[in-house]
Amino acid sequence: MFDTRAMATGHARNLAVELDERADSATRRAELRLVGERVTPMALAREQTLPVLGPLVPLFPEGALRRGSIVGIRGSGATSLAMAVAAGPSTSGAWTAAVGDPDLGLAAVGELGVALERLLIVRPEPGNWSSALAALVGAVDVVIAAPRHRISDTDARRMAARLRERGSVLIHIGDRWPVGADVQLDIATGEWEGLGDGHGVLRSRRLDIQGGGRGSASRPRQLEVLVPGPGGAVAALAA
Amino acid sequence: MSAPVRTLVAWCPDWPVVATGVDLAEPVAVVYANRIVAASPGARAQGVARGMRRRAAQGRCATLALHERDEAREARLFEPVVAALDDITPRVEVIRPGTCALVMRGPSRYFGGDAAVADLVHERLAEVVAERTDVRVGVADGPFAAELAARAANPTRLVPSGEVAGFLAPMKVDVLERPELVDVLRRLGVRTLGAFADLPASDVLARFGSDGLGAHRLACGLDERPPDARRPPVDWTVSDEIDPPADRVDRVAFLARTLADELHRRLGRDGVTCVRVGIEAETEHGEQLLRFWRHEGTLSDAAVADRVRWQLDGWLNGSAASRPSGGITRLALIPDELIAAKGRQLGFWGGETEVDQRAIRVAARLQGQLGADAVLVPEREGGRHPDSQLRLVPAATVELTGRSLDPEPDTAPWPGVLPAPSPTRVLAAPIPIEVLDERNRAVVVTGRGLLSASPFVLAARGKRIEVRHWAGPWPIDERWWDPEAHTRQARLQVVTVDGRAHLIALADGAWAITAQWD
Repeated sequence: MFDTRAMATGHARNLAVELDERADSATRRAELRLVGERVTPMALAREQTLPVLGPLVPLFPEGALRRGSIVGIRGSGATSLAMAVAAGPSTSGAWTAAVGDPDLGLAAVGELGVALERLLIVRPEPGNWSSALAALVGAVDVVIAAPRHRISDTDARRMAARLRERGSVLIHIGDRWPVGADVQLDIATGEWEGLGDGHGVLRSRRLDIQGGGRGSASRPRQLEVLVPGPGGAVAALAA
Repeated sequence: MSAPVRTLVAWCPDWPVVATGVDLAEPVAVVYANRIVAASPGARAQGVARGMRRRAAQGRCATLALHERDEAREARLFEPVVAALDDITPRVEVIRPGTCALVMRGPSRYFGGDAAVADLVHERLAEVVAERTDVRVGVADGPFAAELAARAANPTRLVPSGEVAGFLAPMKVDVLERPELVDVLRRLGVRTLGAFADLPASDVLARFGSDGLGAHRLACGLDERPPDARRPPVDWTVSDEIDPPADRVDRVAFLARTLADELHRRLGRDGVTCVRVGIEAETEHGEQLLRFWRHEGTLSDAAVADRVRWQLDGWLNGSAASRPSGGITRLALIPDELIAAKGRQLGFWGGETEVDQRAIRVAARLQGQLGADAVLVPEREGGRHPDSQLRLVPAATVELTGRSLDPEPDTAPWPGVLPAPSPTRVLAAPIPIEVLDERNRAVVVTGRGLLSASPFVLAARGKRIEVRHWAGPWPIDERWWDPEAHTRQARLQVVTVDGRAHLIALADGAWAITAQWD
């Protein structure tokens, strides 16, 4: 007599072992893939940046805006420069939100390169300021804030954490932000060209910008650039 | 080529309106992004139609009650409706709240024919939705034709197998739900699905790409994509444990997002997508809940996460009889029937991308939080002043997608407008100043439009600042035909010694800073 049952269970056991091995190799492959992903920081860093316009590239250590970072801009001409920085992501499809400046000149914003059809202007009361900012972070890629009142340390720290988690970029104008920015741009001087004594018309402004910041951005940088250039957009200085 | 699977689609008309819980005889409509997405029969009788602008609809019907769209609520209320079909077949899939589908092969054999199943489904659903709305059931080859059959049904409509192409032929191309493609087709003189199906497939592919080819296959009565026999080589299910067990939706929602992300990443990496995605939850008492949602590679990860949240909401907040007895301990997303991802190109037709959707959602949310006047978007109009070429309007009053604010190329600039660069700050409240010449006399503009002397100093509130450069004056004489609105102004561009540029204007004998370049 053949012991069919024993043969059948033996067969089943073989099958089970084979299946186990197959599952094993599948999980091993999955693990390897995971390791592979962890050791490719270069690709990730590039994934997590937003482009900036060509003439402004030297101001940023990565040559682009790192997602989740804070950019601080101070000095006369800060609004123009902030819009020019936002123009890079905006032209590549991102939405921009401007919070707090009640007198923003829309024509200038458009001339500097921000896509007006993807621009939200938000005007919260000072009490709602941080909740409005928190809602925008994550939903809009670039948030430009020009606070008229001082932001509390707690709010600023919470915002920084939220930015890192959601990957938006915050550009703040002025010095009402209590914590240091990842990339700090200070405008030393600005010189208008085109206007004479009773003749001419404003044509362009040469800004002398000093760059600082934290981490890789702490290396001092200096750039002269036309913000706005002729026609209203950013332009490099003619060599 | 095999015919698509026999499918039954059950459709509850006007579900978004039904979900608001109002009487359908009243004029009621549901809006999303300022467009009507659904209208009650009462509203339709007065001329309100889907796709209409909010204002236009209110113009047709002054008593129209408008509700913002709440998809979560729609889904939650639809869950008991779908659950009523669970003992006919375990594989009911939700296409969207208000519409669900089931594959007919099993049930048809078990209950004795398509007609019997269709009647049974209709009876069950009519019981659940009761007086709220009616139910239409359609059976045909493939979900696309079945849904159209349901829309043409009264109350059931069976399209015999193999006659789908004939059933579809007289339908308008609009039913393809691809507005841009339909627009082009109509202008080409292709008005019906039959005429579209007659075009050679290769030409359609060459002209309209793979999305157009999908539409063409639908018009021919085929599946949108050829069936892919590929079996999942590994288990694509993503799942995670929840500890402690969750009995509230918000506690699971975060996990839902992570899982949806993970699922998308995995499928995307291997170049596949799925026809439907199963949402499975296990409770601490071992109950297993499973519901399928239609996906077809068109749902973004955020959309999948939304559906998971709605589904859990439906389960956890359903009637006492159907509610699970314990908290949810495990959540899984099961991609079903894998197909090759054709790389749907988002926004190719200028449509709404996910980035746009996120921004539109946050705009709506902030409007609720801060008031409609606190969230604004630019709109173009004409004018000579820096603040009048573009104007801000509440985001609620315009459609946020597909706008273009580029000036039309062949329009001449307004006469008298100052050339770019424009000022970055246009002061809503101009700052009154005095403009003085070298001998401290006020500078005025003569009747001939000339300055009495070169401006030397700007003075405001006791502070004085010297002028380095200046140009002008540029006069404007506006609305001279209207004595009330008539304004005469002379404008100067001024750069002061601190390097700042200002636009100052003289009106009614007083100077003021009206705009600044910052």
